[in-house]
Amino acid sequence: MAVENGSIELAGIVKSYDGTTPVVDGVNLKIPDRAYCCFLGPSGCGKTTILRMIAGHEDPTHGEILIGGQDVVGLAPVERRTAMMFQSYALFPHLNVRDNIAFALRVRGVGVQERRKAADAMIEKVRLTELADRLPAQLSGGQQQRVALARAAITGPKVLLLDEPLSALDEQLRVQMRQELRRMQRDLGITFIHVTHTQLEAIAIADIVVVMEKGKIKQAGPARDVYDQPQDRYVAEFLGGQNVLTGRIERVEGDSAIIVSQEMRDVVVPLGVRRTASIGDRVDFAIRRDDVDLVRPEIGGGSRRAKVPSRVRAIEYQGNFVKVILDKIGDDELIAYVPDRVFYRDPFSVGDVVIAGWEKEKTRMLA
Amino acid sequence: MESKAKGGRGSVGWLLILPLVLILVPFFIVPIIGVVAASFVQSDGFGGIIPSFTLDNYKGVFTSGLTYQLYWATLKFSVFAWFFSLLIGFWIAYFLVFHVRNPLLALGLFLICTVPFWTSNIIRMISWIPLLGKEGLINSALIETHVIDQPLDVLLFSSLAVVIAYVHQLTIFMIVPIFNSMARIDKRTIEAARDAGASRFEIVRFIALGSIFVVSIVMGDFFVVKVMSGGGSASVVGAFYEDIGVLQYPTAAASATILTIIVLLLVVAILRTVDIRKELTR
Amino acid sequence: MTDHPLAAADDDPVPIRRGRALAPSRDGRPWTFYVLATLFTLYVIALYGPMVCIYILSFQDVRGGLVFPMRGTSLHWFVDLFTQVRTGDVKGAFSRSIRLAVVVTIITVVISFMSGLAFRKRFAGDSVVFYLMIGSLVAPGLVLGIGVGLICNVLGIETSWYTTALGAQLSWTLPFGVLVMFAVMSRLNNAWEEAARDLGASAWQTTFLVIIPILAPGLVAVALFGFTLSYDEFTRTLLTAGSLNTLPLEIWSMTLNVTSPSLYALGTVTTLISFVIIGVCLGTIARIQKRRAAGPAAH
Repeated sequence: MAVENGSIELAGIVKSYDGTTPVVDGVNLKIPDRAYCCFLGPSGCGKTTILRMIAGHEDPTHGEILIGGQDVVGLAPVERRTAMMFQSYALFPHLNVRDNIAFALRVRGVGVQERRKAADAMIEKVRLTELADRLPAQLSGGQQQRVALARAAITGPKVLLLDEPLSALDEQLRVQMRQELRRMQRDLGITFIHVTHTQLEAIAIADIVVVMEKGKIKQAGPARDVYDQPQDRYVAEFLGGQNVLTGRIERVEGDSAIIVSQEMRDVVVPLGVRRTASIGDRVDFAIRRDDVDLVRPEIGGGSRRAKVPSRVRAIEYQGNFVKVILDKIGDDELIAYVPDRVFYRDPFSVGDVVIAGWEKEKTRMLA
Repeated sequence: MESKAKGGRGSVGWLLILPLVLILVPFFIVPIIGVVAASFVQSDGFGGIIPSFTLDNYKGVFTSGLTYQLYWATLKFSVFAWFFSLLIGFWIAYFLVFHVRNPLLALGLFLICTVPFWTSNIIRMISWIPLLGKEGLINSALIETHVIDQPLDVLLFSSLAVVIAYVHQLTIFMIVPIFNSMARIDKRTIEAARDAGASRFEIVRFIALGSIFVVSIVMGDFFVVKVMSGGGSASVVGAFYEDIGVLQYPTAAASATILTIIVLLLVVAILRTVDIRKELTR
Repeated sequence: MTDHPLAAADDDPVPIRRGRALAPSRDGRPWTFYVLATLFTLYVIALYGPMVCIYILSFQDVRGGLVFPMRGTSLHWFVDLFTQVRTGDVKGAFSRSIRLAVVVTIITVVISFMSGLAFRKRFAGDSVVFYLMIGSLVAPGLVLGIGVGLICNVLGIETSWYTTALGAQLSWTLPFGVLVMFAVMSRLNNAWEEAARDLGASAWQTTFLVIIPILAPGLVAVALFGFTLSYDEFTRTLLTAGSLNTLPLEIWSMTLNVTSPSLYALGTVTTLISFVIIGVCLGTIARIQKRRAAGPAAH
């Protein structure tokens, strides 16, 4: 009596190919059933390795992998009720769409009529009915992807694993297919694990985003949490949209620290995770780029706000907002996203002196 | 594949390779051993063998002036054949890869060059007669256009003819690997001096591969030389073919062993300069 | 890369130059192209020319000689070839050669495929086997022939075209076949095997339902090599065929004895068979590749 539970638990996963350098270095994670989970990170961070270990194409050097509560290490992929969608799709070039999709049934000994029917039903789901007799070479990238999805899903897996499914597509198609994947996941009602290096993609579709660096998980949680409240510099910079600045604690007042640096004075940052911070510590903090507003020096600002004088180095029009790049604070970029309409009421030019300001509550201390 | 079959993977490999080994051992290793063994026994002069161990056969081969003459002739043929097939083969491959704009057309032309490889060598060889002979097409054409008044008899049944026949037969062995390696070069990066250096080295590896074929075929040949030289030249292999004909097995065996060792050494030398295995399985 | 002079100033003194550069695909061929194209043409003519002469001369009538000019047209020498006893046992040799080639082809394809798989997965001692193969390839054919003959003598085995010659030919075709398999398999994406496994296929199923169909063109190429190399094989077969000749051996003895165009007729017929096989194989490969590489349909 198998519980159709596609929850996943990774416990103490370590993977090393040569015995010395770990590709995955101690990963612990719980993914609830029916979640859409994205592993996000640059190439080489171990995300694909983890995916393959969940799939059963690689085995961890140490650690346990539980799917639906059952330890699956050592089981073949088909025994785990997982299915994988490969980055290159790996559609069998000699089989047409229907036969590709029906392949999993064929190897299980399902009869011709039955598997044709099942395959056709699947083809309906991915809306490729007219193309059922085509060969993969005759399909576009988006169509191939849907075939790959259908082929993997036909076995009724508990978990579907996707290895950079959208990276082969062009920009427009990528955005389109994102929703397609989301729709499929809801439709099938199973857990999806999706590996990507594109952070916008991850936060667009995932229920849970797992940010990885060099084999370790840096932060895992709902997309909004990871984006809005990054825990450390790496996550903040990878997810984007944040300014990560460094300074020294001059003094501590209540639950906030007063940060100074060469370019900044009196910047108030809530202590947050750094409860034990002391005077003189060098700390990183983050402030969202769209929380930074720019005013001309003559205008000034409220007293509860940070005020950092700076100069405009570059201006990039981005449609909805204008990206204003200011002088660096130390080695860190300082960038403000100014809403388009606000900017053009009194546009700046390169070289203008401005005051960058933000509300203290909007800053976030980083680990 | 990783966890379960890990223990089994090694043995599956061995099972799969067994048939190949089962053919190569009796039809390559064993015959070679047989020949080497036979080179150390004495002939009774009538095609039989007296069980004994002797180095006389080798002494005979090494002290005979004929041996060195034959090796010299064969080596000369090898070098000439290698040089011209490389020269022609290189430029043909270059033309196909870099001057033919349509890759499908280039492939088609390439295949046209390979087709004769799949026809009989002997037929290709004797087909030189109506062309190069004293009454052949070329001579007739030259005489009729008054370029010469006497037919050239150096075209056939001569060393020149031998080299022509070899080059005709072997150029394809140079074209194939060179074409292959050139086709891999990204044509755009030819401009970058950096990559040109790297790709030149690549081509050398493939030239080496082609050379292995050329060298081993020429050194192991006896019938092209025999026919195309009209008996004027002989080759090392030709010589011990004759020995077999008069049942001089041990002498032939000694000669054969020495030749095989030399050919194998040459091939090893070529292989040493490049890592062929890596190239092929890349 | 090439300077597009559409933006060239109107005071360009030589309009012709601009015109030429505007159609770079038609003009703009360097002089080296013409030199190399000529070389190529000459090479192809030289490659096929001699054989073509033979084919033409084989159609002479009873007055025909070994050289040009051509005397009459008839199928006389073809008839002569197959009916006259003095020209040897041509029909028998044909039949033997073809049967032997078919067997060699099948064995070569199967063993080359298995060996290719083995090398792909790696195994202990794979370098040794690799060099064994190379050795078998470069060893002088006659030496192997002598060796086989000697061993058979000692062991009291009789050499014959369907046993010892078969093995001797395999020692030549197998290395070729395996090398072709190397080239073909190096382009075989691991992903297909993994995908098959992921979908639940066993090793056997993966091999027969996925790998072999995908490699089909490569296998046909190996078959082509196997057939033609066996069909034309001479030096290794010479001393291992026993009392009955294969076709190349028959041709060889004719070369030494016969001085009539019946030899040319034989050449024409045997080459025709080779061309048919080549055509069938290359055609099959082309058809499979075309189907699989068709461009994406307009979406």
